[in-house]
Amino acid sequence: MNSIAVNDLHKTYAGALTPSLRGLSFSFPEGKIAGLLGPNGAGKTTTISILCGLVKQDAGKVRIFDIPQEAGRREQIKRVVGIVPQQIALFPQLTALENLVYFGNLYGFKGKALKDKVMGHLEAFGLEKAANKEVGRFSGGMKRRTNIIAAILHEPELLVLDEPTAGVDVQSRSMILQFLREYNAKGNSVLYTSHLLEEAQQICEDVAIMDEGKLVVQGSPADLINGLDDCRNLEDVFLHYTGHAVRD
Amino acid sequence: MLRLIATIRKEWLLLRRDKAGLTLLFAMPLVLITVMALIQDAPFKDYQEVKFDILTVDNDQGRLGRYIREGLGASGQFNVIDSFGQQPLTEEKAQSLIAEGAYKISITIPKGATAEIVSNANKIVNDISKRMGLASQLPVKAVVADSLAVQLYFDPASKKAFKSAIQQALDNFLTQVQTDLLLERIQMQLKSKDSAAAQDTFPAIKLKAVGLKETGVGAGKQIDVISNSVQHNVPAWSIFAMFFIVIPIAGNMIREREDGSLVRMKLIPGNYGSILSGKLLFFVGICVVQFYLMMLVGIYILPMLGLPRLQLGGDHAAGLLTAASIGVTATAYGILIGTLFKTPNQALNFGAISIVILSAIGGIWIPLEIMPDTMQKIGRLSPLSWGLDAINDIYLRNGNVGYILPDIARLLGCGAIMLAIAAIVEQRRIG
Repeated sequence: MNSIAVNDLHKTYAGALTPSLRGLSFSFPEGKIAGLLGPNGAGKTTTISILCGLVKQDAGKVRIFDIPQEAGRREQIKRVVGIVPQQIALFPQLTALENLVYFGNLYGFKGKALKDKVMGHLEAFGLEKAANKEVGRFSGGMKRRTNIIAAILHEPELLVLDEPTAGVDVQSRSMILQFLREYNAKGNSVLYTSHLLEEAQQICEDVAIMDEGKLVVQGSPADLINGLDDCRNLEDVFLHYTGHAVRD
Repeated sequence: MLRLIATIRKEWLLLRRDKAGLTLLFAMPLVLITVMALIQDAPFKDYQEVKFDILTVDNDQGRLGRYIREGLGASGQFNVIDSFGQQPLTEEKAQSLIAEGAYKISITIPKGATAEIVSNANKIVNDISKRMGLASQLPVKAVVADSLAVQLYFDPASKKAFKSAIQQALDNFLTQVQTDLLLERIQMQLKSKDSAAAQDTFPAIKLKAVGLKETGVGAGKQIDVISNSVQHNVPAWSIFAMFFIVIPIAGNMIREREDGSLVRMKLIPGNYGSILSGKLLFFVGICVVQFYLMMLVGIYILPMLGLPRLQLGGDHAAGLLTAASIGVTATAYGILIGTLFKTPNQALNFGAISIVILSAIGGIWIPLEIMPDTMQKIGRLSPLSWGLDAINDIYLRNGNVGYILPDIARLLGCGAIMLAIAAIVEQRRIG
């Protein structure tokens, strides 16, 4: 079964001159760490927003673990998907513990069980000493790690991360990537977007490169690199398919 | 229920750490109502409690002057001043004092005014006696004075209503003197005709067969609360301050959208409505606490500053229902503004200015009743006027829940419509 299957997805935002997605199709088998890569404006965030039901597509089909992303089934999808948005989707005035307990409550968890679960995750991410510190006072790396914990409180089978390592230090990045490997090792699927292609090459088993709202190429990083004579790494593959022109 | 309680707790934690928000919600309104009640105290007292100094120049030195002085003094509204610098007041001096603005009113009773009234009364009695076949005996002045009048001087800055009230009061005294003298003359004439009757058994002529009596009406007939500065300003500015909750709510919603926490909440399975309900309940609770804190200021703090004590009426459940309904409308307005606008600056500016406009037209600054007809009609569309109407019905007219239901229905209906619009706008964002 596929963790994600996207077929002929189209989306044009109201007032936009050009479509964000023009017939995007891809799929990732479950249990893998997959990467959705592309230059700025390629349509990655729009795709993720459609996957989690925050934006409605104009046309096309999305299936998460074979559940169609459509009205009436979205709640079912939310239960199996955890989203780590690009923004730090936390209340900066609340402490890490207060934020995570609140989101845990929204998932239906409560009491000591929830607190233990939250403290366990904080410890795993090296944040136990900062549990009672306001998130607004955290470093970028601490915020990113707390942002991830908020998405895994309900232990989703599919974890979708939009630029999870943007603006973090090397140690935090290493910790996040290690966590993704461990999470995947438990049988969970991971979809990850990043501009850091070296990082994607390290951890992704399957990558889809998209540009201008369409899929350009998909495959394992090794296959993609070996498939082109002049490419030594994923960045070369990326530039080969998306060109050298600067994107805004 | 867990989502609702968790959201209330979260909002409480957020507010507790927002010192500026706490000041805006609690400290500033308390200062506002105190200041407004103090500065508007004098205008409210103008026609109710303030005693005016009235310069009186009595060139007549007769009964009319005495009647006017006694009548003005007895009304409780005037201090009669008939001397200045230990000298009897002259008309010229009185005019200069009025022109300087030192005093607001001066009256000059002309020389011979009482004699003129007596002569007129005698003439009427003689005329009646003659028609009844009695001998006319009372003396009448041979030459009638031309246009003898009690002269009034007003400070040019006096309000029209004030001048009219003074003129009416003086006119009453003049009528009273003339009527008394006429009756006295009639009585004298009758006595002289029936000189055999003992003086003390002679029937007195009673003029006032029918008088005036004020009786309360409606649910509030058992209480007698005067609409004073405190009674108007404390509830009115409390409603104004409660509506200012739109600023923290709109800011809170836009921040949640900007920092992504709204996205997080929407990504969690379950109805977003329960989260929104938690937010609504929390801020309605804050509005109610705000309202009663301000009422406490009206009851305990303002009397210490020399102002009257706020009266809360008899039905406290009706008061609570009104405060909660105003809170629902104000919170819904905040949610609507927070949904419609994209940046905190847009929302805060629009929110603040719109509340000032709604309060101005809704009778918060000055009572709706003294506005022009068109403005009154427009003002009755303001939710703030519905809230103030309901509070006045409870506090001034001692109304109960049944009495205020139309206003409560308007407030809650308006809140429901605003929430529905916010929901539609939010739904469209997904599309």
